[in-house]
Amino acid sequence: MIRNYFKIAWRNIRKQKVFSLINIIGLTIGLSVSFIIGLMVYYDYNFDKFHKDGDQIYRVVSDFHSPEGTFYNSGVTVALEDAIKDNSNFEIVSGFYIERPASVQNKEKNIKLKWPKHVIFTDPDYFDLFQYNFLAGNRATALSNPNNVILTTKRATDYFPDLLPNEIIGKTLVYNDSLNITVTAIVEPFKEQTDFVFEEFISGPTLLKTRLRGNFLDKNWNSTDSNSQLFVKVNKQVNFQKIQEKFNALANEHLDEYSRNHGQSKEFKLQPLNDIHFNKNYGIYDWEQGQASKPLLRNLALVALFLLLLGCINFINLNTAQATRRAKEIGIRKTLGSSRKQLIGQFLGETFLLVLFSAILSLILSKWLLTLFSDFISEDIDFQLFSNPIIIISILVLIITITILSGFYPALVLSKFNTITVLKSNIAVGERKNSLRKFLTVFQFTIAQVFIIGTLLVGKQINFLLNKDMGFKTDAVVSVYSPRGERQLDKKKQYLQKLQSIPQIKQLSLGGAPPASLSSNTTTTTYKTKEREIQSDLQFIFGDIDYPELFELELLAGRAHRNDTIKEIVINEAARKVYGFKTPEEAIGKSIDFGDYTVPIVGVMTDFHQRSLKSEIRPMALRGDWDRDVFSRFQAIHIAFQNANPDDLQSTLSKIESAYGEVYTDIEDYRVNFMDETVEKFYKREQKVSKLLNWATGLSILISCLGLLGLVIYTTNRRVKEIGVRKVLGASLLQINTLLCKEFLILVGIAFMVAVPIAWYGIHNWLQDFAYRTNISFWIFLISGCLMMLFALLVIGIKTFQAANANPVNSLRTE
Amino acid sequence: MIQITDLEKFYRTEEVQTIALNKLSFNVKEGEFVAIMGPSGCGKSTLLNILGLLDDPDAGSFKFNGEEVAGYNERKRSDLRKHNVGFVFQSFNLIDELTVFENVELPLIYTGVKPAERKKRVEEVLEKMQIMHRRNHFPQQLSGGQQQRVAVARAVVNNPKLILADEPTGNLDSTNGNEVMDLLIELNEAGTTIIMVTHSEHDAKYSHRIIRMLDGQKVTENVLV
Repeated sequence: MIRNYFKIAWRNIRKQKVFSLINIIGLTIGLSVSFIIGLMVYYDYNFDKFHKDGDQIYRVVSDFHSPEGTFYNSGVTVALEDAIKDNSNFEIVSGFYIERPASVQNKEKNIKLKWPKHVIFTDPDYFDLFQYNFLAGNRATALSNPNNVILTTKRATDYFPDLLPNEIIGKTLVYNDSLNITVTAIVEPFKEQTDFVFEEFISGPTLLKTRLRGNFLDKNWNSTDSNSQLFVKVNKQVNFQKIQEKFNALANEHLDEYSRNHGQSKEFKLQPLNDIHFNKNYGIYDWEQGQASKPLLRNLALVALFLLLLGCINFINLNTAQATRRAKEIGIRKTLGSSRKQLIGQFLGETFLLVLFSAILSLILSKWLLTLFSDFISEDIDFQLFSNPIIIISILVLIITITILSGFYPALVLSKFNTITVLKSNIAVGERKNSLRKFLTVFQFTIAQVFIIGTLLVGKQINFLLNKDMGFKTDAVVSVYSPRGERQLDKKKQYLQKLQSIPQIKQLSLGGAPPASLSSNTTTTTYKTKEREIQSDLQFIFGDIDYPELFELELLAGRAHRNDTIKEIVINEAARKVYGFKTPEEAIGKSIDFGDYTVPIVGVMTDFHQRSLKSEIRPMALRGDWDRDVFSRFQAIHIAFQNANPDDLQSTLSKIESAYGEVYTDIEDYRVNFMDETVEKFYKREQKVSKLLNWATGLSILISCLGLLGLVIYTTNRRVKEIGVRKVLGASLLQINTLLCKEFLILVGIAFMVAVPIAWYGIHNWLQDFAYRTNISFWIFLISGCLMMLFALLVIGIKTFQAANANPVNSLRTE
Repeated sequence: MIQITDLEKFYRTEEVQTIALNKLSFNVKEGEFVAIMGPSGCGKSTLLNILGLLDDPDAGSFKFNGEEVAGYNERKRSDLRKHNVGFVFQSFNLIDELTVFENVELPLIYTGVKPAERKKRVEEVLEKMQIMHRRNHFPQQLSGGQQQRVAVARAVVNNPKLILADEPTGNLDSTNGNEVMDLLIELNEAGTTIIMVTHSEHDAKYSHRIIRMLDGQKVTENVLV
């Protein structure tokens, strides 16, 4: 019987080529997108799920509460580890410190890695907490002594390309040109998805031989470094309340006087292992991987769901619309003894076959989609994942669900036909009741319409962000950074001098980050008068005396700082307002308390955007490099060009690079940033959203229009005789076209009415993320409505024009 | 085999109620060949639908093999129908997507006959109907007479006790029509009860008894044999 079902299903699919194609395209798009998004969800939700007793492992993190809000830090004070080590709630307490050495060298082979990533200083407990597979060396003793290191096989291959794990044991690596460290073990990196990306594990006590020695000897409760990480494994009978009480007591006991007086407090918290991958407040260890976002995954899943629904709707609409064609078959089958259940089974079987076929096509398409959406998708998500048993089962469940979702209603409708009626007249009862079909068409076009409005408005906002005046010069400016860790000012000045000789360069400035960047440096400051004391966070930009002119920062009062090392600041308007100065002039000469010393305000500049337009302008000051003896803040040379002619630009850039090579020799460290590209980077996420929306819109329009085309083809075919009669009676082409289009255009119109408030609400919410927003203009809705109508009209027109143009003699004769 | 007593059937629309069968009573014995005649709208087809267990009467009694079946639910009716009744329609009602063989095989599938047995029985009946050479053709590829032969083959493949034929020659020319009637006679002679609705006096003469109807009632009954 099943064979019979499949046979007839296959013949039906072949016989109704256009409808089958429409169904298959719709379902294939929906399924492909679902597969990819499913893979992404599966991938992200399976991070660090493989650790033994993973549900008992937590990271200890720090939350700082102040009147300005809560600030999060994934690290803890170094002192905390000792303070909780003996707590009976913990089975294991293990800390590690992330430090990127400037270089690591295998002197024997003369192999040197600069700034290797993922290096930590830790203790043997780390390997009790996380179960690595040791390929060589002794797990128990590998990190017992100072100057020992465990390498992963991946890192071992970098340093010792020709040696087997056993042969590497006992070899020496030189860190930062001076520290000799012996390799004591080789481990396999985790094969599963993990945020624990570390490749080199140096024994904890070795830290005392580095520049960080001071931090570890002086266990300061008031210093929290995000590189200082602490993990615990709790007991099975853990009392979380007791742990939190202990944490609170410790935080409170060690709170300094200043914080207490200013309403600030600190809180230690346990962060579950499975939260690390998603929680942006505390971050992950490899920023390049990009942190997973639950809201993004949820939105992607919604897109997949909508596209799938659109495909299902096409299926339901086309199948119920064609019911009459199947009516006779149903009547005969019923007469010959088929039960309704058997008929439902048969139609579901047909649907299954179609969905299965679409699923196979989707699998093939997925391979291509994985590259197309590489911006969203981790490199580790590859086609191989489809061989994972959980993914296979999920796909099967999805196929069955889609089969039921698409096939059940048509099966119910078709199997309900009255045998006698359909055999007598070939017209199915209930065929005229197409209100569900209308509803589904409206639903489909509502989704497509919401996507169109969303795309246009997101595009408008991104355009607004990119083109809004940042308040300083962003075009034809680049910043060249000194090599990481470069401390010598002479070299920077030498480079500056070399650049001065390039005629295409208009101006140069030595400084810190450009006015807008992703890095920030903030200090809490106080402005004291006899009557009051105003406290405010003050963000700094660092630059020499040419910095304001190069970036065209406008001074409202006073002047710039006199030289690089003098303690003077130029504040922005936001800072002036916070400190309570009524005019820019009033601020000049006033001193701001920095805690250890006071600094006079010598100038007030206009506000500019220091970050993306998502955030408000914050109080800021431009300052020199007055503590350069301890740590120079001038890490970049900013360059303004004479003009932005692309040909000129290329040659100037190569001159800048070769000058760099003359000063620093090691050209590998050369880093150059274009200011306008930096601004663009602020909106990387938004641009990704926009790309995704473009695709979702295109696909939803395609599926919906195909569905519409199917319905139009069906309706016009059914009305061939009517069209013929009308033409014979003198109806014009336009009249017939209007007649045929009207009913569909009304549906698209209703969809527009429904979509407008939904899209408005969604975009309004999305825009709340931005401090500066474009208008939700009326014309956007109008354009999107017109676009949708145009698409629909085109699709409908293809068929109706053909039908209206046909010779009525033919249609009347066939009748 | 069939006993109907005071059978009634109404069709209602919002405004009017039409009486299709009005207290109709008659019996059909096993092995009989009965023709039912009458003008259009006299209730012949309604009667055939009820006799074929496709429809339910609104009142009266309908005994099939001594069992009261009026009021049976769809499932019970379907069960009884697929084992006991074969249909031959004026417009053949073959499934266009299935081949001749598959069309004839269909009733056997629904009664759960095993594939090997199905093949044997379908081939037998196709041989008998002299349509074996067309077994892999689709209905559209056959002439009207051939299509009706397939329909008859399908009606008898399950060895039903009763065959209901609704104008079986209505769409055929006289030669093909006569062939179909000969087939029905053959089946009847082999013991199958046949009830045939027809407008054709010629066809009716093949039967043992003619029941004439008007306005849902029996007007005359002529025994021919």
